[in-house]
Amino acid sequence: MSELIDRIGVCVERGKVNIASPFPNDMKGQEGADELTRQALDAGVKPDEILQTCNAGMQRIGERFSKNEVFVPELLMAAKAMHAVMAHLKPFFKSGTVKAKGKFVLGTVAGDLHDIGKNLVAMVVEGNGWEVIDLGVDVKTPKFLDTIKAHPGCAVGLSALLTTTMVNMSKTVAEIKSNFPATNVIVGGAPLTMDAAMKMGADGYSSDPQGAVAFLDRLSIGG
Amino acid sequence: MTDQQWEILKKVINGETVKPAPIGFIIDCPWLPNWYGIKILDYFSNDELWLKANLKALNDFPDVIFLPGFWSEFGMCTEPSAFGARCTFPENEFPHAHRVIQSADDIDNLPQPNPKTDGLLPFMLNRLKLAQPKIEAAGHKIRFAVARGPLNIASYLMGSTEFLTTMMMQPDKAEVLMKKITAYLKDWLGLQMETFPSIDGIFLLDDIIGFMGEEEFRNFGLPYFKELYSPNVSVKFLHNDAPCKVSAPILPEFGINFFNMGFDVTLNELKQATQNKVTLLGNIPPRDVLASGDNAKITSVTTELVDSLKDKSKVIFSCGGGMPPNVSSEAIKTFINAVRK
Repeated sequence: MSELIDRIGVCVERGKVNIASPFPNDMKGQEGADELTRQALDAGVKPDEILQTCNAGMQRIGERFSKNEVFVPELLMAAKAMHAVMAHLKPFFKSGTVKAKGKFVLGTVAGDLHDIGKNLVAMVVEGNGWEVIDLGVDVKTPKFLDTIKAHPGCAVGLSALLTTTMVNMSKTVAEIKSNFPATNVIVGGAPLTMDAAMKMGADGYSSDPQGAVAFLDRLSIGG
Repeated sequence: MTDQQWEILKKVINGETVKPAPIGFIIDCPWLPNWYGIKILDYFSNDELWLKANLKALNDFPDVIFLPGFWSEFGMCTEPSAFGARCTFPENEFPHAHRVIQSADDIDNLPQPNPKTDGLLPFMLNRLKLAQPKIEAAGHKIRFAVARGPLNIASYLMGSTEFLTTMMMQPDKAEVLMKKITAYLKDWLGLQMETFPSIDGIFLLDDIIGFMGEEEFRNFGLPYFKELYSPNVSVKFLHNDAPCKVSAPILPEFGINFFNMGFDVTLNELKQATQNKVTLLGNIPPRDVLASGDNAKITSVTTELVDSLKDKSKVIFSCGGGMPPNVSSEAIKTFINAVRK
């Protein structure tokens, strides 16, 4: 049984989504995260154990990403494999068998259609046990405010790639802080620095998904 | 760009020492319209304002090599528009193109655009043709055929996450897409060169390179860049201000001889990584320093950059990336003074 659990973790780390996926090359034709998770659940493995091994897999790939040993495509594939696992685990989240660490509302700010950073963060944060509410790209401030209202206690992540949309990010942060002062906001994206993030009133900044996870895990919200 | 500036650029690329130290900036819609005092939409929709804004930059800073020079563009909408992408033009923000490929299955049905007639490209070319007499009367020439790079366009057409995962999950589909885009770009660059015989350079902008590892880039990027840079021109220029540590050692293989990077690497590191085969345009931080409005900071960071170089050949001083919004004339003058003091 433990071998099956370990294999799921390896599939997440290596980005092996399912048997049909040709990636990674050395695992071509092998069962992936999708099939192995189904088998594990059928065999009575607890969803919590599966989630733990996935988190460990994501942690390992995240560390390799931080060391420039792997790159965005590999990280995206790991997140995709994680998604395949989460599709099986979702019913257990809903039933309360597995408890999310908290809710994380995420979007790329108004005027910005870039999704790569936002998607990476969404996938990695979700893979680390948070419920992610992904608002997509080009998200106007009222949509953030409405979502925060609907999910009290959530944390918020704002992404921007364009220098010009940093202005919109700043406005959105100000509006969130004005309407929901207790809401924790983390920002990220190519044009940003910690200094710029602090100036706009955000609570945190991260240049990579692992930093966002670390920030969220430090928060007490969501247990 | 004047004949004299073009000769300076070629000399620097050939490794000759040029005095005073050469300075250059990539300028386009993120900076020019607001610096000139007009809205971004006016810059795109009024050919006269576009020309005046470009001429003012050149006249105000005659010592600076502005690249590519008279870039007729519609921001990120330019190339995707020919594939039928919906283009959104806010009044004073960057325009953006919406994706046209919803899944990898759509790739086979993607039309092959004709740059002569499709999307915004005829408008771009005609704007340049109409302006050409005035550009030449002002002592300048159109020097570069310009386009966003193939990986960048693929990401716009499909979404960057989707494109990068398609590369891994359905490599054959990603290859079809890259081939289509490359064929289109070859036509587009070729049309620009045919229309303006003064063109002697190719300029591609592609920051998706920075997200890829070496293996993926060698499979899905390098062959296409090599093809696009294959025409016989004097200056082969690439902009990638996303991370470039992985791609730097491969840059000479692209066939390029001129590179504008971000600021996550030093020029010394890049010189070493490229074996000093590629001329570098960079690289003080564009937003945190050049656009900061803090002249003391601009001077100190620029001086540090100049002093850090053991070998100043094959370097044109600039910021790491294109000119960002909100850089004042004073900031540019401060930068020039710091380089040349």
